[in-house]
Amino acid sequence: MNAIAHALPTTATHGALSIRGLSKSYALKGKPMQVLKDIELNIQPGEFVSIVGASGCGKSTLLRLIVGLDQAYQGQILLDQQPVHGPGLERGIVFQDHRLFPWMTLQQNIALALKNHTMPATHKDRLVAEHIALVGLSGYEQAYPHQLSGGMAQRAAIARALVNKPKVLLLDEPLGALDALTRVRLQQELQRIWVQERCTVIMVTHDIEEALYLGDRVIVMDAHPGRIREDLRIDLPHPRERDSTVLQAYKQRLLGELVGH
Amino acid sequence: MNLKSLRGLVLPLLLLGAWEYASRQDAAGAYAFVPLAQVGAAWVEVLGSGELLVNLWASLLRTCTGLALGIVGGIGLGALMALSAPANRLIAPLFHALRQVPMLGWIPLIALCFGNGESAKLLIVSLAALYPMVLNTFESLRQVEGQHREAARVLMLSRAQQLRLILLPAALPGIAAGVLQALAFAWVTSVGSELFLSSGAGLGSLMMNAEAGARMEIIVVCVLCIGLCGYLMSWLCTLLSRRLLRWRPTR
Repeated sequence: MNAIAHALPTTATHGALSIRGLSKSYALKGKPMQVLKDIELNIQPGEFVSIVGASGCGKSTLLRLIVGLDQAYQGQILLDQQPVHGPGLERGIVFQDHRLFPWMTLQQNIALALKNHTMPATHKDRLVAEHIALVGLSGYEQAYPHQLSGGMAQRAAIARALVNKPKVLLLDEPLGALDALTRVRLQQELQRIWVQERCTVIMVTHDIEEALYLGDRVIVMDAHPGRIREDLRIDLPHPRERDSTVLQAYKQRLLGELVGH
Repeated sequence: MNLKSLRGLVLPLLLLGAWEYASRQDAAGAYAFVPLAQVGAAWVEVLGSGELLVNLWASLLRTCTGLALGIVGGIGLGALMALSAPANRLIAPLFHALRQVPMLGWIPLIALCFGNGESAKLLIVSLAALYPMVLNTFESLRQVEGQHREAARVLMLSRAQQLRLILLPAALPGIAAGVLQALAFAWVTSVGSELFLSSGAGLGSLMMNAEAGARMEIIVVCVLCIGLCGYLMSWLCTLLSRRLLRWRPTR
């Protein structure tokens, strides 16, 4: 436990994300629909930022813009002072559905992320094995995705996103489709993995408890148009206790804000 | 072997019984429905003389060559149409118009241009295999889920890598179904083309010669052979596609 507590993520040197004046609209039946309005966000290297908000607040859209799948927006997205253009291996993403390729084994799926790296094959093999071990899936290397449980598939997706050593890991409701017990276990795993890897993490979630348990910061978003309502800093060292009174107090407050108007 | 797996033999055996019964009614019956003993004797005769194997081999070889050409060409053309909108707009109208013409309808035209030799037959077989391959490749590539494409983009795969590692494997179930159809079409047209372009070896030619010589029993042997070989080939194809698609969840 001590070893983990010392390896604080603030020691990371890469992965500062800066979002300036970001706006995004879709055309809906010919009329422009604003999904994101004037988003300003500065994320420190190695920070874990949770984003919560009602559905339709554009939080998943925000991740799609950061990962580069959608490039039609106004404003700036800067990673370590460099503007982001399209997808890149320095940004990894895990979606709610694992999106492993069903025709590849677990090992092949993870190795695919290293496809265009020019490192020796033995080095690649070692990285893949290390990341399979990191997410606790050693022994399942040759399994096909349909042979894995939902939780295991999601672990594999996390390994695939991490194997490139991204500066920023984006998590789009990564545990949203899992049952409650698996979710709690994977939240602990995510915390452990993040402390070990020390990359910047931005996680979109519906689950306030999850956001508070994992996040150094919790960003609360409003909908129509999507904008940042609140930026909470959770000053609690990791690893955290799930039932800490501080977290409980925050939870009551956020629940009141988001649900009980 | 258990009883269940023998169930498929019930109808063929009943049919054989009815056949034998019909052959014993009168002289006309015995001519149309050759007694089974005579069919058996003919089988031994054409096997022994090598006639059956030579002709069977010719038909099989043409089927496989035509099928291979049709598969390669069909996957190529289907992929081109699925991945390039301009190519699709250019090719699709012509393709869909041409495929309305039944394969037998092409035979006079092809015979006129290419004669009645092996190349004409091979062209017919290849065309028959091409249509289902193009349709299935096109449809299954079009239906590759957007989330697979997105995941591939996030992993920074090049266009060629996306095609080879993501799109084609994702489309493989549909393509395999196409191969099974193409195989059936190829086999049918391979034998069929011999009936219309009677030259050279083949089961169809053997049947035509038997008809000319009023050898009903040899025709029956050929029909049985055609059915059996087609059945065996599609069974092998199913086995192969199961092996290639073993990553799919069993349903």
